[in-house]
Amino acid sequence: MGVTAAVTALDGLAFGLLLFVVATGLTLIFGVMNLLNLAHGSLYLGGAYVAYLFSDGGLPGLAVALGVGVVLGTAAGTTLGAALRPLAGHGHLDQALATLGIAFLAADAYTTGFGGAPLPIEPPDLLDGSITLADHAYPTYRLVFIAVAALLALALHLSVTRSRYGVILRATVADRAMAAATGVNTRRVQALAMGAGGALAVTGGVLGAPLLGPAPGVDSTVLVLSLIVVVIGGPGSIGGAFVAAVLVGQVQTVGVILAPTTAPFALLAVLLAVLTLRSRTQTVVHA
Amino acid sequence: MTTPTTLTGPPTADTTPAPGTRRPSPRAAALLAGVVLAAAALPWTVDAYTVSIASTALVLATLAMSAQLVTGIAGLPTLGQATYLGVGAYTAALLASTGLSNGPLQLLAAAGAGAVAAVLTAPLVLRARGTTVLMVTFALGELARTVASQWATVTGGDDGLHTPPVTVWPGTAPLRAEGYIYLYVLACFLCLAAAVAVLLRTRLALVLHGAADHEARVRALGHHVTRSLLAGWAAAGALAGAGGALLIAANHYVSPADMHLDVSALALLAAAIGVGSMRGAVAGAVAIVAIRDLLGAETGGHAHALVGAAFVVIAYRRPVTAWLHARTARRHP
Repeated sequence: MGVTAAVTALDGLAFGLLLFVVATGLTLIFGVMNLLNLAHGSLYLGGAYVAYLFSDGGLPGLAVALGVGVVLGTAAGTTLGAALRPLAGHGHLDQALATLGIAFLAADAYTTGFGGAPLPIEPPDLLDGSITLADHAYPTYRLVFIAVAALLALALHLSVTRSRYGVILRATVADRAMAAATGVNTRRVQALAMGAGGALAVTGGVLGAPLLGPAPGVDSTVLVLSLIVVVIGGPGSIGGAFVAAVLVGQVQTVGVILAPTTAPFALLAVLLAVLTLRSRTQTVVHA
Repeated sequence: MTTPTTLTGPPTADTTPAPGTRRPSPRAAALLAGVVLAAAALPWTVDAYTVSIASTALVLATLAMSAQLVTGIAGLPTLGQATYLGVGAYTAALLASTGLSNGPLQLLAAAGAGAVAAVLTAPLVLRARGTTVLMVTFALGELARTVASQWATVTGGDDGLHTPPVTVWPGTAPLRAEGYIYLYVLACFLCLAAAVAVLLRTRLALVLHGAADHEARVRALGHHVTRSLLAGWAAAGALAGAGGALLIAANHYVSPADMHLDVSALALLAAAIGVGSMRGAVAGAVAIVAIRDLLGAETGGHAHALVGAAFVVIAYRRPVTAWLHARTARRHP
């Protein structure tokens, strides 16, 4: 029982880290641009379809898919940022409507291009086996994914807390007007945040495709769970997103195994508890 | 949008109606009467399929009024109104399953359940403003949908609940024909619209308008903004819940799909089309359903893309208008 629970917890960690990669982009965009990007799930799904197109069963295929995904994600993110710029002075509602519209259009384009059925994606052959953990066979790809996502989280943490760009980013998140007054090019920071956010979402899609593969509706599933991560972690907070993503991952996997009937309520209860305990959530920002 | 003059003066100087609530001109009243008559004549002028789509449009129009009340009037953009629609619809469906098929009673119970659900969630939503309201309402709405999907013993899970047709009065025959169902939904919708019109003429609407424009100033004037927002949120919940009962009357079915983000998003889009006006939101809802269900059927399954394009067009209306104005001004200085 103990080993089974640990294996399930490992599954939860993998799912949580997948959500973290996607939700970090979402929270970054919110923190820097005060924008709720409702097309973020479409970027994830785009990444999953890129994995479908370029993965050939080997590691080089995955590497190509990752490279293409990062380039496409960065381009999509910065294009979205530029397209939303004319709406900046007109309030958050129009930005939300525009990103929703883009999500609807993307969903239609994906269905037209790839059909309405789920497309299963196998991990590269080299990572397709399993490793024995305490007499339990565990998929190698999942372990590798956990390691890569954890490295990505560490790299993000270090670049935000230690690098010069991280300082500029945190200053812009905390007070955009003050950052601009001290000479920070906030437009460039916004473009960088949109590009990085897009790249993270698509990277999540490429790497996460064997875990949560391309299918109609995956975009909204990922968007909803990422958004719950952002709300629980505190909008704009990367550290908060990490803790929240791991928590949501555990509730979604361990909760379903241990208490299948109450798991959906558990996530709602966590969200309600966090929102109740937190005071006004409008400008909670810690990078 | 300007702050209503009454809110900048002492609370007793309440003489100017809020924007959009002035007594309509005879021409506007005649136009409104014409639209209502045309809507009432629909079962005799179009086919049954279009009549059933018109019933759906009225359900979305009710939800759009709810979204307009909190988004356009109170300034809280919501992506979760379908939650309260779902609560109302499940309430009506559960009443129907216990043998209570009386439509007006289902409507009252659904509105009450919607209001209660809104009051219960209000403390979580009303702490936030702006984009965070969108986030919190979205997250709550999607979690509520998951609960509806998993709580199979009560909600029927993803299979949903099928209900018998409603009756208008105890002892009368149930409404089965599409035309009668539509007329019942239209009558309920008109009653709800009248209630909203009365609500918009109250002091509460003035405070909500003022709080959306300049909350600190309205607070400083001694108005209880939080209490007013709670009342407005509850009224919007009741309205959405009533929409849920109309959904049951029209479709005889509810499932978690009726609480999906798409439904809340369409209500928000209709509110945005209406630019703060209730009549605009209703017209927007009717236009959206017409685009999706009538025009979308002609485009070979691309109804989603049409609705997506509508979202983008509405989002960019203001910068495009400003750009066109600037161009015209340059040409004809």
